[in-house]
Amino acid sequence: MLKVEGLNAGYGAVNILWDISIQVADGQVTAILGSNGAGKTTMVRAITGMLKPSSGSVLFNGSELAKKSSRYILDQGIVQVPEGRQLFTEMTVLENLEMGAFSKQTKAHFQENLKRAYQWFPKLEERAKQAAGTLSGGEQQMVAVARALIGMPKLLILDEPSLGLAPNIVDDILNVASTMAREEGISVLLVEQDITKALACADRGYVIENGRIALEGAASELEANEHVKKAYLGI
Amino acid sequence: MSTFLQACVNGLLMGGFYSLMGMGQNVIFGVMKIVNFCHGEMLMVGMYLTYILWSVCGLDPYLCVPIVAVLMFCLGGLIQHTLITPSLGTKSFTNLLFLTVGLGLLLSNGALVLFGSEYRTITTAYSQTNIGLGPVTLPLPRLISFGVLIVISVALFAFLKYSTTGKQIRAVSQNSVGAEVVGINTKKIYILTYGLGTALAGVAGALLTGFYTIFPTAGASFGFRALIVVVVGGLGSIPGAFLAGIFLGLLETMVALFISPSYSDLIVFVTFIVILVVRQTVIIRRK
Repeated sequence: MLKVEGLNAGYGAVNILWDISIQVADGQVTAILGSNGAGKTTMVRAITGMLKPSSGSVLFNGSELAKKSSRYILDQGIVQVPEGRQLFTEMTVLENLEMGAFSKQTKAHFQENLKRAYQWFPKLEERAKQAAGTLSGGEQQMVAVARALIGMPKLLILDEPSLGLAPNIVDDILNVASTMAREEGISVLLVEQDITKALACADRGYVIENGRIALEGAASELEANEHVKKAYLGI
Repeated sequence: MSTFLQACVNGLLMGGFYSLMGMGQNVIFGVMKIVNFCHGEMLMVGMYLTYILWSVCGLDPYLCVPIVAVLMFCLGGLIQHTLITPSLGTKSFTNLLFLTVGLGLLLSNGALVLFGSEYRTITTAYSQTNIGLGPVTLPLPRLISFGVLIVISVALFAFLKYSTTGKQIRAVSQNSVGAEVVGINTKKIYILTYGLGTALAGVAGALLTGFYTIFPTAGASFGFRALIVVVVGGLGSIPGAFLAGIFLGLLETMVALFISPSYSDLIVFVTFIVILVVRQTVIIRRK
């Protein structure tokens, strides 16, 4: 459904991404793996239109998104849970979720989507009236995921969801992501530096190094790969 | 006792204007993190607009308020779109400082060229009407103005708290990256915010004309006080700005009553500096 080809992007004169090509299949979790500074978040920004790629194409269900605005891309159903969550910390949980409904369509379905988000994360219903900044890190990550779900994604991008969270909470979040892909048909692009956890829940994966795709394959293949074992898993 | 009560009432009535100015400055600062140094001049523009509408069209100054609000909103939006948004891209504080200071100079000197330096006043049938309330007298124009600005303050608070656009404005002020992620058009919010802040200053100007003289530098003292209100009331807090404005008004009249009217500016700014120093240490301790 998402097909990125020959993507180059960077900031000013500094090019970060070199000739990136990836595919995200329907109803699957695709992982983008790499260490800090490899270019993962830059790639997310380039796909979601927050950074204009200098060349290359981003095809989503057959239509070209490479030079489109971030709002237009959001409208097509590519919704991200950004790195560091980027919540509105002084607003209540409910207000944060309301902000996730950006278009006429998502506003019209807000109540039912809110109900579904609360089913995924029952804790958020208890905390609806609380300022988002007063929640624990894990709960804040839930708000960020729920806010993205309110936007009715066809492709959900999770950027570094494990950042600063306890391992069991990371498992919860990743479980929700893979269940969503399998049961709801939402494709998930999971961007992670915790490679063990990411490969455990992903179907396919790409390893990104210095802004280039170094490896790609099924999750099981990557887990067995000697380079991955040595460089990332410490085996 | 009655002079004390009268001073309290005067302070309250004047403080409402500082509140209104502070709230406008606060909304602009909250969203764009810029200090709007021409905020006081916008009040002055609002005054002259009211003066023109009154002297040329014969409109009552209070009927001018909605017209001034709309005109000032458009002026603010235009300034944001053509001048401030492009400068925000440079991420240079000095650029924005010179831009808003320069705009302020342009506006006050423009008024000097167009209207001359003489003091102008608007007189209405009720200009000299006073309402006696026990030991205190309330000049009718001040009372009406205060009523209108209370309504505006409550409306502003409700708009920011409950409306979708108001929530978007708060979202941008708290996390502009997060706002972009959820598809809020930040440039549109910038235009709305600067328009709104400018309209609030213009309305404050229009409401002042009932009892205050109009001259090209009339806005300066209000502009400075708006900054004090923002610092004292807390960044981003509308109720805080409201209370700080009232506090400032009361402080001024108390100084005038117990010490001397000529010391009120001195004491106000000394208080401001003291609060800055105290707040600074509080902030450092929190970190």
